[in-house]
Amino acid sequence: MRLGRVIGRVTLSVVVPQLEGARWLIISPYPREHLQNGPVPPEGLSADPSLVAYDSLGGGLGDSVGFVEGREAAQPFDVAPPIDAITAALVDTVYYNPKPVTPAS
Amino acid sequence: MYLARVEGSLTATRKHPSFEGWRLVICQPIGREGRPEGVPQIAIDSLGAGMHQRVIISSDGSAARIAVGDPKSPVRWIITGVVDEVSPGTTALEDSLS
Repeated sequence: MRLGRVIGRVTLSVVVPQLEGARWLIISPYPREHLQNGPVPPEGLSADPSLVAYDSLGGGLGDSVGFVEGREAAQPFDVAPPIDAITAALVDTVYYNPKPVTPAS
Repeated sequence: MYLARVEGSLTATRKHPSFEGWRLVICQPIGREGRPEGVPQIAIDSLGAGMHQRVIISSDGSAARIAVGDPKSPVRWIITGVVDEVSPGTTALEDSLS
């Protein structure tokens, strides 16, 4: 699971049957340098490419969410839909204390 | 699987039910000298890995689903082991970072 900030939503007019009525969030993922610390998501977009994730938790614009990618994203369904990213957590607070990196000598 | 360093944790009240009760730990994949490589991943932890300790994280979803006991859980990363180290934050092989 990775963390990211919800920066938008997508509505689809034509979609495969298993995904009808689904909710899609555009998420800007947090790399190491731009990770939330504390209760407030960091401003701005990160360098990493954004992605669209299936949303089952009701993530709102500007929220920090944890999203799972890969085969496991299609796991919480009776019939596995063709998705590879799903929101799995709405983040409240992050305690982030990265070990300082000394530049390569 | 990745060698990673525990660099934080997070709380999330609203989440997939299978995560209930599990520690959500921020693990930064690291190279041999302890240099960060790639994106921090959130893994579930039952081993009690401490801050800046080195761990092995696995993306084997099936093992994680068995651990949380929910075949429909989207859980993916799980801490499968804590690296043996002389003192927290270093490794048996001296950590050139500290």
